[in-house]
Amino acid sequence: MKLLKLLAGAAIALPLVLGTAHAQNSDPLKTLVIAVPSDAVGLEPGANRAEPVGSEVILNVFDTLVAWTSPDFAELEGRLAESWTVSDDGTVFDFTLREGVMFHDGTAFDAEAVKFSLERTKEINPYVEATFGLISEISVVSPTEVSITLSEPYPAFLSILAQPQSAIVSPTAVEAEGEGFATKPVGTGPFKFNSYQADTSIVLDANPDYFRGAPQLERIIYRVIPDASTRRLELENGGVDIVQQQGQLAAIAAEDVAALQSNPDVAILEAPSQIIRQLEFNNNNPDSPVADIKVRQAIVHAIDYDGLLQGVFGGTAERVYGPLTTNSWAFNPAIQENAPTYDPDLARSLLAEAGVDPASLDFTLYSFQGPLWGAVATFVQANLADIGINVTIAQTEFPAYRALQTAGEFDLALDGRQPWYNDPDAHITIGYLSSLADTAMTFRMPEDAELDSLITQAQQEVDLETRKQLYFEIQEKIAAKVPGAYLFSPKLIVFTRANVKGLVINSAPPLNEYWGVSKG
Amino acid sequence: MASFLLRRLLALIPVLALVLVIVFSLVRLIPGDPAVTLLGPGATDQQIAALRDQMRLDEPVYLQFLNYAGGLFRGDFGTSLKSGAPVLDEILLRLPATLELSICATLVAILFGVPIGVLSATRPNSMFDHATRIFSLVGVSMPAFLLALILQLIFATYLGWLPVSGRMSPYIVMQPITGFAILDGLITGNWQAAWSAVQYLILPTAVLAAFLAATLGRFVRNTMLEVMSEDFIRTARAKGLSKAQVVLEHGLRNSLLPAITVIGLKFAEMLGGAILTETIFAWPGIGRFMFEAIKNRDYPVIQGTTLVFSLLFVLTSILVDLLYGVLDPRVRKRMK
Repeated sequence: MKLLKLLAGAAIALPLVLGTAHAQNSDPLKTLVIAVPSDAVGLEPGANRAEPVGSEVILNVFDTLVAWTSPDFAELEGRLAESWTVSDDGTVFDFTLREGVMFHDGTAFDAEAVKFSLERTKEINPYVEATFGLISEISVVSPTEVSITLSEPYPAFLSILAQPQSAIVSPTAVEAEGEGFATKPVGTGPFKFNSYQADTSIVLDANPDYFRGAPQLERIIYRVIPDASTRRLELENGGVDIVQQQGQLAAIAAEDVAALQSNPDVAILEAPSQIIRQLEFNNNNPDSPVADIKVRQAIVHAIDYDGLLQGVFGGTAERVYGPLTTNSWAFNPAIQENAPTYDPDLARSLLAEAGVDPASLDFTLYSFQGPLWGAVATFVQANLADIGINVTIAQTEFPAYRALQTAGEFDLALDGRQPWYNDPDAHITIGYLSSLADTAMTFRMPEDAELDSLITQAQQEVDLETRKQLYFEIQEKIAAKVPGAYLFSPKLIVFTRANVKGLVINSAPPLNEYWGVSKG
Repeated sequence: MASFLLRRLLALIPVLALVLVIVFSLVRLIPGDPAVTLLGPGATDQQIAALRDQMRLDEPVYLQFLNYAGGLFRGDFGTSLKSGAPVLDEILLRLPATLELSICATLVAILFGVPIGVLSATRPNSMFDHATRIFSLVGVSMPAFLLALILQLIFATYLGWLPVSGRMSPYIVMQPITGFAILDGLITGNWQAAWSAVQYLILPTAVLAAFLAATLGRFVRNTMLEVMSEDFIRTARAKGLSKAQVVLEHGLRNSLLPAITVIGLKFAEMLGGAILTETIFAWPGIGRFMFEAIKNRDYPVIQGTTLVFSLLFVLTSILVDLLYGVLDPRVRKRMK
């Protein structure tokens, strides 16, 4: 009985007490809650492996020397760098730095911090060895001037400097925190790190002294919500303000998009991505039926591209015409004009020309796992059945799939690439350079002295216009070889509550900045 | 009693050693390399080789095992391949969330399951008995994710009484002390946080408790029916005890023994992480942690969590045995 009285008393007293304890909590109108599917792997630029959640947090807590200019993301602008020049031979990058910028720990940003940060990433991050390894020297000219020398010309280096791995860290904080820096990052960015709770949340607070002006929000909270249907319910209920699409191969279910489109409380932002998904031929096996270009052409013409975009994706993906997406600055419009069209009759006659009986073709179509890839594979299977080619689908677990793809043990495979930096180099070099054919999931291009030298040349060319022309030529040469059927490019889709204003989707990589975002 | 406990605790060592050997070799038999899995489809061989080197995966397996086992003696569970953080710290960070949920779910299940079982047993084949039978069938057979979704839709979306998912309102910022959200709120005097934590706990608790309550209800009913036909019950009635005394002191007490085994087993299972429930409710527990680790082939985390689960499982079963002793004088005698 005593217990009952106590409980009753507590129940009455509770609401009275509740009113008093608001101090440290955030104002929902000034706080942005973002749902992410998994915990950040780390908040440490030096160790970043292009994992999406951590990368985005890094870009909001830190600044890079340069960044892509919103909303087109086709040109670089200075951030911590005020201006820069590139030497004629393309190996020396001189930066003039912004003055008066402070790290969140109160120390001043200067050229030493730039040298410290970039050398640190070079030293501790094997993931960026291929690019950071090109840095031969970083010299501090004055507190506001820094000069970076590369061992060979690499124009995409500026694009690498816009990446999370190149974010400038506070040397003082790194030395003070040691390994703890990975969960207590200190940068110069628009938001300061507040707290991290494993598998639960990352909280960032506005940096009122940010050099571009204080952000409009007071706080950002990343909430880890692994289940897609829970994320959707939370968005509909207002439990989160933003749901992002993330993950290399994940896409949002088309039916979810349709359902949310009719919800007045939810806004859907879309932007084209630079992700490419293709039906890949094994281009390096002379014994394969697809070694015959007529067979490849037949297959490419057998696919109903628009039907795939509408039927499987309900408009959440766009057409890809060749080795680069249409939003790349190096995209060659001629590729779009000459892109293969859906023409099953032409496909059949191409097979006849090649002297191949479609019934004799019996392919296994390898694919990643997951319902979306399954749907794409089934669609392709039906298209090929239509011209008489039999296809068996093998959705294979990723590590095993990678092993057989890089070993070249396939004829047809569904594959794709999400470039981790904004430059045509990110698709072309790794995808089509013959010397890299076996070193990753690539198009396995056979040796071709002319194409290979064009690719290397384009990778190193300093003059932008010349470089663009080189990529134009490369795209035409690749398209002529029909190395695969370019299927689709998933759009970047972000769902927000209707009162979220000012968000611009970054296309490559798809990491958003929240500096200019507000809640109305 | 003390020697019984000591014997049981000593028996733990070979059990855990065996678990260690099995898990250590099994995780390495799962196809797929952790470096490949972690870096995803875009990675080059060079990047993968560098990561393998960093994770020291190129060492011979027996050396890896010796290093790992040696580390265990020093309380070092290794570091996560994914995050680079010490595995033990990562487990301890997530264990309170799982404990909080499991304990609450078990208590709620007992609170509902046992009385339902008793009432059904005292009124066999009544309307109440039939109704609870249907309830039990639904509780046992409905998958957790479906029940979770239905509850979320009803209580969060339509009624708006409870939150959809999470452990506490995201707008409340509180640094964990014990890791038990409600307790932390109470300790720091942050009533709002504690109250929020209670609200967030209700739906996942209900989902987990539903299954256990249903099982327990039927179980108690059946054992109770058996016990109530025993001679000593007739004797108790004959000597003029009230109905409540007969049912509760003689009937229930004797039918609780097997029920405790069921509760203990199910509780230990829940400690192993209710993966689905934790995933749907974005509950930062140990089950989800292990699931992610298996997906990522994060060997040290899979090993560490499995060892901790085994330890908790065995400790729970020892606790159950001790409870037997408390409830049954005959068992107590044998323990001596």
